Amino acid sequence: MSFMEAFCSPGVLCQILLGLSRTVILFIVASGLSLILGVLRIPNIAHGSLYMIGAFMAYTVSRVFGGGTLGYWMAVLLAPLGVALVSFIIERGIFSRLYEREHIMLFLLTFSFVLVFGDLVKLVWGAEYRSVSMPGFFQGSIRILGLPFPIYNFILLLVGPIVAVVLWLLVNKTKIGKISRAAAVDREMVGAVGINVSLVFCIVFVIGCFLAGLGGALVSPIVNVVLGMDHTLIMEAFLIVIIGGLGNIWGALLGALIFGLTQSLGILVWPQFGIVFPYAAVIVVLSIRPTGLLRSTW
Amino acid sequence: MKKAAIMGMSIVLLGFLGVPFSFGAATIKVGFVDTYSGPPSVYTFDVLDGFKMAIQTINEKGGVLGKKIEFTTRDEKFKPDVGLAMAKELVMKEEVDILAGTINSSATLAVSDFAKREKIPFICTFAKSEKITGEMGHRYVFSVAENTRMIGKATAQMIAKKPYTKFWVAGEDYEYGHAVGEASWRYTKAVKPEAQLLGQTWWKVGEADLAPYISPILQAKPDMLFMGTGGVGNLNFLKLAKAMDLMKQVGIILHTSIELSNLQALGQDGPEGVMGTVNYLFYYPGTPENKAFVDEFRKLYNRPPKVGALYGYAAAQLIARAYQKAGAVDREKFITAMEGLTVDSPVGKLEMRACDHQLMLPMFFGVTKKSPQYEYLIAGDTVTIPGKDYLPTCDEILKVRK
Amino acid sequence: MGGKRSIIILLGVAILFAFLPFGLPRFYTYLTALIVVTGLLSTSLNFALGFGGIFQFHHAVFYGAGAYGAAVMIAKLNYNPWLAFIAGPLVAAALSLIIGIICIRLSKLYFGMLQISLGSLVWVIVYRWYSFTGGDDGIHGISVPSIISSSKGAYYFTMVTAGLAMFFMYRILHSPFGSTLQGIRDNVLRSQAIGVSVRRHQLAAIVIAGFFAGVAGVLFVVVDNSVFPDMMFWTLSLEITIMALLGGWFTFLGPMLGAAMVVLLRTFVSAYTEYWTLALGILLMLVILFLPEGVLGKVFEIWNRRGLTEDRG
Repeated sequence: MSFMEAFCSPGVLCQILLGLSRTVILFIVASGLSLILGVLRIPNIAHGSLYMIGAFMAYTVSRVFGGGTLGYWMAVLLAPLGVALVSFIIERGIFSRLYEREHIMLFLLTFSFVLVFGDLVKLVWGAEYRSVSMPGFFQGSIRILGLPFPIYNFILLLVGPIVAVVLWLLVNKTKIGKISRAAAVDREMVGAVGINVSLVFCIVFVIGCFLAGLGGALVSPIVNVVLGMDHTLIMEAFLIVIIGGLGNIWGALLGALIFGLTQSLGILVWPQFGIVFPYAAVIVVLSIRPTGLLRSTW
Repeated sequence: MKKAAIMGMSIVLLGFLGVPFSFGAATIKVGFVDTYSGPPSVYTFDVLDGFKMAIQTINEKGGVLGKKIEFTTRDEKFKPDVGLAMAKELVMKEEVDILAGTINSSATLAVSDFAKREKIPFICTFAKSEKITGEMGHRYVFSVAENTRMIGKATAQMIAKKPYTKFWVAGEDYEYGHAVGEASWRYTKAVKPEAQLLGQTWWKVGEADLAPYISPILQAKPDMLFMGTGGVGNLNFLKLAKAMDLMKQVGIILHTSIELSNLQALGQDGPEGVMGTVNYLFYYPGTPENKAFVDEFRKLYNRPPKVGALYGYAAAQLIARAYQKAGAVDREKFITAMEGLTVDSPVGKLEMRACDHQLMLPMFFGVTKKSPQYEYLIAGDTVTIPGKDYLPTCDEILKVRK
Repeated sequence: MGGKRSIIILLGVAILFAFLPFGLPRFYTYLTALIVVTGLLSTSLNFALGFGGIFQFHHAVFYGAGAYGAAVMIAKLNYNPWLAFIAGPLVAAALSLIIGIICIRLSKLYFGMLQISLGSLVWVIVYRWYSFTGGDDGIHGISVPSIISSSKGAYYFTMVTAGLAMFFMYRILHSPFGSTLQGIRDNVLRSQAIGVSVRRHQLAAIVIAGFFAGVAGVLFVVVDNSVFPDMMFWTLSLEITIMALLGGWFTFLGPMLGAAMVVLLRTFVSAYTEYWTLALGILLMLVILFLPEGVLGKVFEIWNRRGLTEDRG
């Protein structure tokens, strides 16, 4: 359909809402990435792998509790905690020893985790397609302007703002939030006033990875839980963080909005190259503001 | 810098020594290159299991020409480049007698091209692009799986009777997706001149978030959707079809939608009312040979056979019979023996057509529906279309090969 | 002194490589050619990264550009393959010039990130342009001239071309330009203070690196007769960085050695297990933790300490 036809049709609202539901997942994952990047200064490429582990853990937990409604809720609760545990282990075990190294080494170290996690997931869960079932009342679709809109996508639209609010409270209203914001700006100073910086880093890292796991668990009923789901997602998450402003969580939200909306509207206008639009948008943003839209903590 | 050269050479030499050689014994070696990881593996393991089941019986009876048939596998991870690399390894390092595989049409074409240059027989055991035995067909490639030309013709035959005139083609942007979607349209248009193609939508392979693509299609209000998806793409689409209840808004036909691999993965959440075609159903037809096949498979592997099992089984039978007929493990004699060869199968006698090296399989058409007997949906309103009734003619094939 | 010995050793190596296809099965000819192509790619990356200090985070794009440039010209536009082989590296060089100009005004990390963004844009366009680039399938069965289409032919063509490419890169690095480049890597401010145009040198380095990556891409087409979108994916960019790191990125031949190690590891380990990526990941972790100068770098350090290098006689 032509550009104008596509843009003025009732399907646009559906398309925008679909884009926003994608934004929610991207935001949850990217905010975790941004948090880690901002406070610990680690570009954690393994973040996508943790997202994938979250999705696979959701599958297992859901199976353990017999699938269906109970399985789903237990999965969304326990899988992110499982991922948080994994991240705790690797942070204490390996990362905490290397904070003084150069960025590029840390970057490559996180890449080694991408390789390791990729195969570990294959070892533990096998190479098959996995599916997580959702509760009965999340299935099916509602009608928006005459077009069917999947209910689960609608649920995601509700979850997004909740996560955003909780994050905002965490970062701005809690003590740990304030300390980590200070540590992001000047870690030496924070250490000098007697705060255990290492502990702060650990907590922030675990929370960031929890968010990745949460994203994976939430998305597991509607995408393919397969090996390789980490590779494209981490690229998108990184670009979002870059255009949002390194370390800025609200930048991650803005970036996720840009990404999700340009993609779904792009599909409407030019389905073949729909997924190219977000990348083009990234270039446009970086040409105007190379350091990102919002203030970065770097 | 010279130290570097010495060091480098030593490490490289050590590495070469480390790579293991393998010596061919007095056996017939079949090299399978296929996707054994990820979603497509659920199909390909059946190919292997069907093959294994057949050669077990053959080897127990003494093998072929006094030699046992053995096989080795390599995982292409659904990537054409890896598939080609693996095929090269199988031929150049493992020194297999025959190549077999794969489920990825593009990989199959790449391997087929390689087989042509190497002059080694290659049996396609799953991929369905019509180019395999059509445009890019040649002396050294055979197929025991249906191809998209066949699917298109069968689809058109069934759709011709329905009152649909407005069509839309949608699917994944790769060789198989385009081939099956476009063939369905092409042959439908040929039998129904008044048919209109309202549009086409292609998304990237494996895309899971299909709602943004399907929503605009519904807006255009086509009568029927020709789906060009494969593997996990089938599942992604079928899940969405259920969630959006698409079957009530538009007719859908998707090749293999009635196949066990897909329906089993969806369980009770599968969508009812989706039309589809497939070359094997374990519960239809209830002929003695099909029942015997299913029972034997179940005993060995504790599960009912999927369509891949038929391909693997047929391939094994063909290989054994052809070498027997050829009288020697010779590539050229093998090929000549294959042409026109007939083998027994759970779906009746199957002929390997000489003009294009395509196995003449029957096609089954059905509509998905719930079943009280199984935990997954099955095909209802099943219709059998015999091979000779819907395969493209030899003339058609010779014309496209020019 | 060292000069004559170097030449004799190089000659020995050259003879070894010349006779390799006759001594070993065909598979190893193919494998060696593949290693050399990958090593050339990694060396070209290191030209910018190790010697130029440039945050070349998405180098694989130029490799893919060279390969796709040649592939599309042969398979889709029906040009003479020899023309396509020359066009490939030129396409890569042009792309690196464009990307370089856009990114050069930023420094270090931001440069790297913008390059990743631009590179990803190129990748996604190639990935979705099914009718022109074959999309997810890639392009296969690309016809190359019959002299170089056999395993041996492709092997010799690769060795000669790669050898020349390595030679040229080596000469450039040991020229005044190369010294200036390394000076910029070590201390930007001081270089600027003595009047060096930092940006122009870095841009030139990026274009040279991109050009030779394009050469590697064309050689891959000769060896494998195919191209696919993964050649431009970020994971490949990181893999070749790993190769450079493994082998030693402050040395010229380090990346080639690293490439040999990774490709052999992949082939060797894959024969026993499907978890070779795990092995690579662990190897990388160990190298980062214990051997950050890379294998070759560590070896040189040991030799230096023991006085085994030429300088100490």
